[in-house]
Amino acid sequence: MGKKEKVRVQICVGTACFVQGGADLLLYNEFLDPAVLGGCEIEGVSCLGGCKEAEAKDRPPYVRIGEKVYGNVNQEMLCRLLAEATRA
Amino acid sequence: MLELNNQYTLMKRQVHAEVLKEFFAGTLKENVDKLPIRIIPKQRVPNRCCIYKERAMVRYRIMALLGINIETDDDELKSLAEYVEEVMQNDTPAAPILTTISTACSSCPPDRYLISDACRGCFARPCLANCPKDCITFSGGQAHIDESRCIRCGKCKEVCPFHAVVHIPVPCEEACPVNAVKKNEEGYVEIDYQKCISCGRCAMSCPFGAIVERSSLMPVVKMLAKEEHVTALIAPAIEGQFPGTLSQIKAALLAAGFSSVLEVSEGAETTSLHEAEELAERKARGKGYMTTSCCPAYMELVDKHLPFLGERRSSALSPMGYAALKAKELNPATKNVFIGPCLAKKVEAVRLKTIDAVITFSELASLFIAKGIDVRELEGADLGDTSSFEDCRQFALSGGVASCVLSRFAPSHEVQVLPVNGVDKKMFRTMKIWEKRPAEADLVEVMCCEGGCINGPGVVVKPSVAMKLRGGNKAAAPVKAMRSVIQ
Repeated sequence: MGKKEKVRVQICVGTACFVQGGADLLLYNEFLDPAVLGGCEIEGVSCLGGCKEAEAKDRPPYVRIGEKVYGNVNQEMLCRLLAEATRA
Repeated sequence: MLELNNQYTLMKRQVHAEVLKEFFAGTLKENVDKLPIRIIPKQRVPNRCCIYKERAMVRYRIMALLGINIETDDDELKSLAEYVEEVMQNDTPAAPILTTISTACSSCPPDRYLISDACRGCFARPCLANCPKDCITFSGGQAHIDESRCIRCGKCKEVCPFHAVVHIPVPCEEACPVNAVKKNEEGYVEIDYQKCISCGRCAMSCPFGAIVERSSLMPVVKMLAKEEHVTALIAPAIEGQFPGTLSQIKAALLAAGFSSVLEVSEGAETTSLHEAEELAERKARGKGYMTTSCCPAYMELVDKHLPFLGERRSSALSPMGYAALKAKELNPATKNVFIGPCLAKKVEAVRLKTIDAVITFSELASLFIAKGIDVRELEGADLGDTSSFEDCRQFALSGGVASCVLSRFAPSHEVQVLPVNGVDKKMFRTMKIWEKRPAEADLVEVMCCEGGCINGPGVVVKPSVAMKLRGGNKAAAPVKAMRSVIQ
């Protein structure tokens, strides 16, 4: 079995995301399944800009998984998104 | 107590940020009545019964932010713009710090025990055997509780092998350590301010957001807008509340318009020295235990409920008290704004008179959002020489105050420390007993919030996260700081 490439996960640690629920995502070691965690490369990233769009339909916190940016991310949603991403 | 980040706290932060954005744009009065509609748009899936009630709640949140006492000054015929105009002219008085929104209150029925469908109507019937009031009856193959006789002892819940008995509490009443939260005749929440110690537990517990703090943000942003000299006195708990180091937080405060920043840990050093001296004297004279005096909710607790502890409290000012004096010494014309995790500090500020306003970390977060300040992107500001009081940043943690006092205590005697880590109903009962049977310790460190100030009602970040981001440059790379060793 070939070594699978890790999914790149960037959690926004800009102030607006961090103070609106983003800080909870930092507990990823506690709430993510270890198998999923092993398939991800998690890092912090400066503001992804989503919150500053005038007609933004999502709210912070934002997370980029691979190339796609997601808004309104909470722990439960991150679990689900990463489980899907690592399975793919 | 509720999880820190929930729909309600996030909504509150959004409301605060939107109001401040309008304020700084100079359009608050013009747009404030549009905000409830903008924040709760038509297409939203409501969390309450309908979007119209949600909009009404946003209106009340805005009133609380403006500092209005909703209990006494709610006039439904008045527009928010009219309230804004009044608040722009005169600051509202700070006390009482809490207010209730009866429309939000769900009038929870009195706390009770209920036997659920999980009951199998078993043969042994331990509930029946253990109920001291004979209030369990059986019908339809299941047990039932006779409400009129139940004394809510919880024995049936303890003994049921199927976990079929549930306790349905009234969250605000259960959270209040001093029974100051009650229901009025209509069944809505009411706070007895004669008893209330302003700890904020009820506000943190109500899942409907019916108990709110009256904010002092407006007086503060008015000071900032008027370009007065304003000193931000930052509580020791601030580290870990924002992404960025302490020096970056300082830079962010300067960017937000504060003229200077003073760490309250500096005042904590004076508190520690004073308490160490006092403790040595008490020990030498065999006067028995001394308690700390830095927790303002504890000060209220003593004044209102445990007067016998009055002479046991250290006479030291709180770190905020000393830091305020220091700021006034540096610039007598300065306005002092304490920024912390605490609601009771507002009560202390009214008493001290050296503090002009108190806001919480949560409110500061909204200020940063409104001003578009990203703490982590800023170049750190110089904190100056912090070597003598660096350890006093531990004042924010349970056990931290005692350790700072002890490290400044002449080591001629053994000192026995008793930390009171959080004051709930049970701890309050324990403390009452000290009147007859004194606490067996030399130094009693009291913190009304469990874990210390980092678990206060005004924090942004859960203590478990904040702990990992405190110290050094950890908070500059939060994701990295959280990575565990095993991976």
